[in-house]
Amino acid sequence: MANANQTHEMLPVPAPFTGRKEIDLDAVREMVSHFHYEDFEEAQELILSALQEVNEIFGWVSPEASEIIARHFGTTSERVFALLTFYADFRTQPRGHHHMLICHGMACYVHGSQQLVQQMQDTFGVRDGDTTADGNMSVQVVNGCLGVCDRAPVVKIDDTYHGFVDAGTLTELVNRAVASRSEVTENGENDGSHGTK
Amino acid sequence: MVHTAPSEHLPRLTSREDFEAFRAQARKRWTDLWEGNKTVVSVGVGSSSIAKGALDVLAACRQHESESTVVREVSGNGAFWMEPWVEVKRPGEPPVVYGNVAAADVSAVLTGARQDLAVGVRAPESFNGIPSLHEDPFFGHQQQIITRNAGVIEPDSIEDAIARGAYDGYFKVLFEMTAEEAIEEVTTANVRGRGGGGFPAGIKWASGRKAKARPKFIVCNSHEGEPNVYKDRHLHEADPHRILEGILIACIVCGAERGYNYIGGEYPLAIRRFRKAVADAERLGLIGKNVLGTGHNVAFRVRTGGGAYICGEASALMYSVMGVKGQPRTKPPRSVEEGLWKRPTVANNTETLANIPDIIVNGGEWYANIGTENSKGTKLMTVQGPLKRHGVVEVPMGITLNHLFNDIFGGMREGHEFKGVQTGGVSAGPLTKDHLDIPVDFDSLSDVGGMLGSGGWVIFDQNVCVVDFARYLTAFNRYESCAKCVPCRLGNPALVEILDRIRFGRGTLDDLTLIKRTSKHIIELSLCGLGQVAPVPLMGMIQWYEEEFRRHIVDGVCPTGTCPISSGDAVLAAGD
Repeated sequence: MANANQTHEMLPVPAPFTGRKEIDLDAVREMVSHFHYEDFEEAQELILSALQEVNEIFGWVSPEASEIIARHFGTTSERVFALLTFYADFRTQPRGHHHMLICHGMACYVHGSQQLVQQMQDTFGVRDGDTTADGNMSVQVVNGCLGVCDRAPVVKIDDTYHGFVDAGTLTELVNRAVASRSEVTENGENDGSHGTK
Repeated sequence: MVHTAPSEHLPRLTSREDFEAFRAQARKRWTDLWEGNKTVVSVGVGSSSIAKGALDVLAACRQHESESTVVREVSGNGAFWMEPWVEVKRPGEPPVVYGNVAAADVSAVLTGARQDLAVGVRAPESFNGIPSLHEDPFFGHQQQIITRNAGVIEPDSIEDAIARGAYDGYFKVLFEMTAEEAIEEVTTANVRGRGGGGFPAGIKWASGRKAKARPKFIVCNSHEGEPNVYKDRHLHEADPHRILEGILIACIVCGAERGYNYIGGEYPLAIRRFRKAVADAERLGLIGKNVLGTGHNVAFRVRTGGGAYICGEASALMYSVMGVKGQPRTKPPRSVEEGLWKRPTVANNTETLANIPDIIVNGGEWYANIGTENSKGTKLMTVQGPLKRHGVVEVPMGITLNHLFNDIFGGMREGHEFKGVQTGGVSAGPLTKDHLDIPVDFDSLSDVGGMLGSGGWVIFDQNVCVVDFARYLTAFNRYESCAKCVPCRLGNPALVEILDRIRFGRGTLDDLTLIKRTSKHIIELSLCGLGQVAPVPLMGMIQWYEEEFRRHIVDGVCPTGTCPISSGDAVLAAGD
């Protein structure tokens, strides 16, 4: 069982991920230029939407990207950073090559999602928001709900949902997702990032 | 920016006659579709069915598209247990719904070789030995008003929606009745806020209309942060035009210049479909300057949330729209006086607004006949847990939980025993099996510590430990606290700490008193609704399951064996 009071770190701290896709700042500039506003009020209303779009496309929002957004909407990057840390959907760190959401809604909870969170910690050494040391898989625990409650507990890896997951199938799912990436690397079709062992 | 393009073929309507002609045309198109000699194949595509492969099924169906076969992408119908489903209407026959269809089954389903997958006929009569869906308790016990288009119309088609009555209420408000009459109807209907608060919409609208400052805004609260409630998502995906119409009616009636819809960022499909609805309505001229030649100007903006539960609170939501952190503020001034951008703002829940078009068209009297004395109309409800069926249903107010769980949702699954049901999302206490015969409306459950709230029910079975569950619920509130005011920010972590002590076998009987005292402080001193109800689930758990708490504390045993107390961790904890 996970325990919030556990202060000791039993697991290796994830190493910096070197194979990440950097945020293409030109693409961000291009995207932001499509946000037109007539007055101050409308500009403020659009900041969150712009951040969401960057987060959606690149999986996270970098300080450089927030600077571009802040400038476009006439505000400061500190203010933008405050939004990034307040709203749970944003990431300020890059994702792994695969991104897993563990649903921790109530229906998943009553079907044992807590064990999945624990399993990720015990087997792969990742907690909510972490990325595995090799950069293959980042994990996010969804405090709300993925809305597929009839298959609880549910995890979502990249774009695919997996239902009725238990500790055993979770490990298998992660390994399979990671293995599929290794194949891509061997075929030389990846994006130039480092391979896996 | 995510620009959703409107359908190119839509004309621009500039007068009453234009709209009437367009509506007649849409209705004819609809009748031709269903009475023509083509096979109509509809695939239910919603967030929940996409997770089960509905897009593959849709793609497989598209392969069979031809001169004689039309394939439509409709939304889910709330019956998650039969997803993905395909509805086939052959010429001269009623539409037959096939459930749990895999992409590989599609060819056989279309040729009629897989009648074993048929769930029912979407018509009052049975057909060829296939029963009517109305005979199925899941559909038979529902009263579908605001979800009657779910799984029937194509949500991306404004013509489908108009053929099925969308914008009739808007039309009536624009041309046939005064704003005062409209408010009168809403007041007679006594429709109360569906987000959980239960505040009468008519009163809110009347004060919104009276507000003098300009401009005024209408905000639709579609931010469902509550775990396991997705009624608003269902409505957006199934019938976005109904919500849009509700907001537009509110704009006209309250004299607001602009409508907003704030949708939770977790719902990409709902956002996409709603944006499409807005784009189409704008192109038709239902939104914009001088709507249908009446002189009314209505603007519209869609804003999306970023995954903060607190943004469901109205003042926090408005801050979020304004692009800052969503933290509630003290009231007064109420948002009707000073809301978005310090202008008068009327904020309503999605489901409330979705009820408005029918109230305007059919009158408040009609609506007031549905439901109970104090809670009128129907309510969308989502039920989760180890039940035979899952989904979203629309039932009249006053239904009992027994009826809801056992008749509509088929009762508990094999091997699971009902222990309790968590009510009101994370904002109210649980109920035990002794309470299942209370008719459910806005007020009836408060005596036993439960709440209708936004209509989400999570059933838990004998394998769930109430201490652990209480910790989960409290930890949810701890995580979602906006950290503005101290009682909530520090009180909830304190409660989690005490519960952890009990779970690890280090609790004392004094802890139960401490929980009650801390909870009282949080409830009385917190600023907003989140803090004021945060300890309520925990209090409810102790109220009904105190014995189980005591077993943890006195005997050092977790009866379900789920707490760390029952595993090796307990030793660690004890030696600590």
